[in-house]
Amino acid sequence: MSGKAMWGDLAWRLFRHEARRGELSIILAAIVLSVAAVLSLSLFSARLQTALSAKSAEFMASDRQLTSNSAVDPEWLDKARESGLNTAQQRGMRSMVFANDNMVLADVRAVNEQYPLKGKVKSSDDPFAIGVETDSLPEPGNVWIDSRLFQVLKLNIGDKLEIGDALFTVSKVVADIPDRGFSVFGNDHLVLMRLVDLDSTNLAGPGSRVGYRYFFTGSSGDLDSYYDWLEPQLNSELHRWVSIEDDDTAIGNSVRRAERFFLLASLLAIVLASVSIAVAAQRYSQRHFDPVAIMKTLGASRSWVQKVYLTQILLITVFGIILGVIVGYSIQQLVVWLVAERVPVSIDSWHWRPLVVAVFTGFICAVLFSLYPLMKLFSVPPLRVLRRDLGAGMSARFIQFLASGSAIFLLMWAYSGNLRISLILFVCGVLLVLGLLLVTMGLIRVGRKLGQGNIGPWQLAWARIRRRAMDNSVQLISFSVTLLLLLVVLVMRNDMVSQWRQQLPEGTPNYFLANITDNKLANFQQHFADLNVETGDLYPIVRGRLAAIDQESVRTAVSKEDEDEEENNGRGGLGREANLSWTDTLQEGNTIIAGEWLSADITNGPEVSVEQGVAERLDIKLNDMLSFNIGGQTMEAKVTSLREVNWQSMRPNFFFILQPAAMADFSPTYITSFHLPPERKSELTQLMAPFSSVSLFDIDARINQLREIIDQVSLAVEFILILVLAAGSLVLIAQVQSSMDERLQELAILRTLGAKGRLIRLSVIFEFVIIGVVAGAMAAIANELTLYLLQTQIFNMEANMHWDFWLLSPLMGAAIVGVLGAVSCWRLLRLNTAAILRQML
Amino acid sequence: MIETKAISKTVSTSEGLLTILKPIDVLVKSGETVAIVGASGSGKSTLLGLLAGLDTVSTGEIYLDGQPLHSMDEEQRAQLRGEKVGFIFQSFMLVQSLTALENIMLPAQIAGLADAKQRGQEILELVGLGHRSHHYPNQLSGGEQQRVAIARAFIARPKILFADEPTGNLDSENSDKIEDLLFKLNEDSNTTLILVTHDHELAQRCQRQLHMHAGELSEASSDISQGAARVG
Repeated sequence: MSGKAMWGDLAWRLFRHEARRGELSIILAAIVLSVAAVLSLSLFSARLQTALSAKSAEFMASDRQLTSNSAVDPEWLDKARESGLNTAQQRGMRSMVFANDNMVLADVRAVNEQYPLKGKVKSSDDPFAIGVETDSLPEPGNVWIDSRLFQVLKLNIGDKLEIGDALFTVSKVVADIPDRGFSVFGNDHLVLMRLVDLDSTNLAGPGSRVGYRYFFTGSSGDLDSYYDWLEPQLNSELHRWVSIEDDDTAIGNSVRRAERFFLLASLLAIVLASVSIAVAAQRYSQRHFDPVAIMKTLGASRSWVQKVYLTQILLITVFGIILGVIVGYSIQQLVVWLVAERVPVSIDSWHWRPLVVAVFTGFICAVLFSLYPLMKLFSVPPLRVLRRDLGAGMSARFIQFLASGSAIFLLMWAYSGNLRISLILFVCGVLLVLGLLLVTMGLIRVGRKLGQGNIGPWQLAWARIRRRAMDNSVQLISFSVTLLLLLVVLVMRNDMVSQWRQQLPEGTPNYFLANITDNKLANFQQHFADLNVETGDLYPIVRGRLAAIDQESVRTAVSKEDEDEEENNGRGGLGREANLSWTDTLQEGNTIIAGEWLSADITNGPEVSVEQGVAERLDIKLNDMLSFNIGGQTMEAKVTSLREVNWQSMRPNFFFILQPAAMADFSPTYITSFHLPPERKSELTQLMAPFSSVSLFDIDARINQLREIIDQVSLAVEFILILVLAAGSLVLIAQVQSSMDERLQELAILRTLGAKGRLIRLSVIFEFVIIGVVAGAMAAIANELTLYLLQTQIFNMEANMHWDFWLLSPLMGAAIVGVLGAVSCWRLLRLNTAAILRQML
Repeated sequence: MIETKAISKTVSTSEGLLTILKPIDVLVKSGETVAIVGASGSGKSTLLGLLAGLDTVSTGEIYLDGQPLHSMDEEQRAQLRGEKVGFIFQSFMLVQSLTALENIMLPAQIAGLADAKQRGQEILELVGLGHRSHHYPNQLSGGEQQRVAIARAFIARPKILFADEPTGNLDSENSDKIEDLLFKLNEDSNTTLILVTHDHELAQRCQRQLHMHAGELSEASSDISQGAARVG
């Protein structure tokens, strides 16, 4: 065997023997843990995202949509089909529909037979009955209309409805279509018809305002390459390409927020993995100080030693990664199997990226985090064989912090592709570490005072803390970081789930009423009170057209606004005329972002508060004068504030809000809402009977859908939380184990000198409890900072303080770390003292 | 074989420079057996470390088999140790995760000797542990571990053997056996032996004894002409 092969042979022998003797278990466990955690988390979240995207796609009736103001080149659709995509078409317009000498503005949707590509149309045979999913569409010559239209036009199934120049038979109730949108008020009465019938109505002639929607489904690769082909031909004035990511509805936002949470959880898993590998590598290196000194004494050159140990680390890494992949895949499969009932996660879908990421993480972590301990190992002087106290020649621990810090940061950044989220976590981590170093110094001072007196467990504990200050600071940092990460995930999940639930608390109104006239208001309120149905706030409304901004006519602007309205029917509110409302108090979910809320009187002339989005679109600024045309009368108001509105709330929101005093001369209609439990649904007819002119909006189905998705996402988040908690606990156990080994010698000596088990056990428990309390307290502080940054910068949530965790976290730290310390100590005390001493020779 | 010229060792402590070895001249001839004796902390192990090239001198010159140890870097010294030096330690210094045979093979493997295994087995037989080749150090008694260490010291046929309290951790029965084995192998292979010990009996078995006292060396052998020791 040549000299070159000799080191390989030795590395292999060392690896084999050490693995068999369980000496590699901690570093192996750390690598297995990191790979398994990253793989299971990212694989699970990838699958969940696929599932949730599929769900979101149902609300778009497709994977992608192309909306246009005119018919697109048929070649585009041919090309889509050639590219392996499925297509469907819809044309939508607002039009008056007539029946029984009544007419009403309706949202007419003409679809071809492929519609919808995703999701289902829901229909029923009776108005206001629960809609049932169907694969069928209206036959040519027939239309399906929504329940309200039956009510308003006093129609029955089988009656005729006039749309444009054509007459149709009303054959069913359309309860819902997938791409209806989540708006409470934005939608007019829905009429669903076949595209082949559209020509006969003559509605889609020149000059008409028809919105064209083209739906596409297919593999994401095909969709992307099709878009690459299509994009250069699109005109941004006419066309808009919509994907699930553009989905600005409550569901879209919830899903995106959940995705960010999964990303965060995976990032934290990476950090946890890094911490555990760093701890394990440190211990591995220290345990090999003697063998390295021996080899060097026996004539091994530095490079020979390097080759032996680098090969061994490589072997450990490869072995750990293989085991980690197996374990991670199994965990993930188990979770998928457990949640399969409630979350539609497909077991069939396989994702390569998580595997690549996990293997890469394991490799990078193992190499980068063992680099410094290995460098230390290589610098062990041969003289150690004579002078056992000699350690590694290198110190400069800050290099280690710098190296591992940058490694963690790079990993997070590379993995998330999100500089901001990585920076937030990293900066908070660095601040925590700096804080902890200061605290350690403080502890040493405090320890000097507290540790005085006769030797008891308490004094022994402080003595150890003081003496092992540097080692303890490393330990303190790793405990704190682990606790911090667990806290962040735990609190983030609590806040997120509770904010989701808050969006739709029990008793959320599931019916809205509009067109309640002033003179019927008292009757209406009495009637509802008699039937024991509680109604929500009343919002007065008059319809008005925005005629001018600062004397400048806004005809074009208004028509642009209409287009946007057609495209964004998820937004609600603005029709050809705007709904103008008035109130003294700022509505919940509204925030003033510029100017001041309306003043109580109109001594300075009428004031108006404008929603920020519409202000941006129409270029309305503070102090602009807006002219509204309300039923022929002109009223002017000065813009005194801009409002940000939470469109996800299931409440009516308004683009323009004026002062009650300014609107006293106009006679409004009212909007209100009420909650009717499902079991009372049959009372609807009785409830509405006296008020035929009042429009009823049934959003029960929408709310249920939203609630279902939120429940599913919450459940998934819970599982992710459990996975991270499990990973974190394992890291803590590994840390305590490795630090126990460092205490081995001292404990053995105490034991030999006759110290009772109780003294040793208590002193160890006290030591760990002190470390746990400090780690927990520091983690609570860092947690608050991290959460504030994450919630305000990444999750777009309201940040709040978590005072309960300031108490809970130190207690948790003391309990977890103390118990783990006690358990490990119990294990040590069971060992034969003579055996320990001999092993240490 | 080994010659030092006014070597000294000074280390810096928090209270300033501390001289551990005062300038020492030693000459040890090839095949000689020399014991360095002295109280704890007298500087014996420091001297051994310097002579073996494990540590570096503060001043002075050391020649090991004619080669200037004092001007060599760590890598060169390691190479020289691998080629010419064997070691035996009080605490045996076996690699715990290697078997007896593998421990013995280690120097031969480091030297790149192709017949490391064969040599290892032969010498393991020679020290009477042929049947325990696959045992790990913690499965062997103290005496057996030291025999493994002796076998390891001789496998690469060193010219000089350094032993640091080779029987310090052993009972008297085992000590005698180990001493016999050590001197026999030494004689058979005509190796120069330099050992540090507290044990007067063991020291007496060497041809020369050097006394260390507070960093100073004095010759205690009756046959002073065989070598030279000077207090500087």
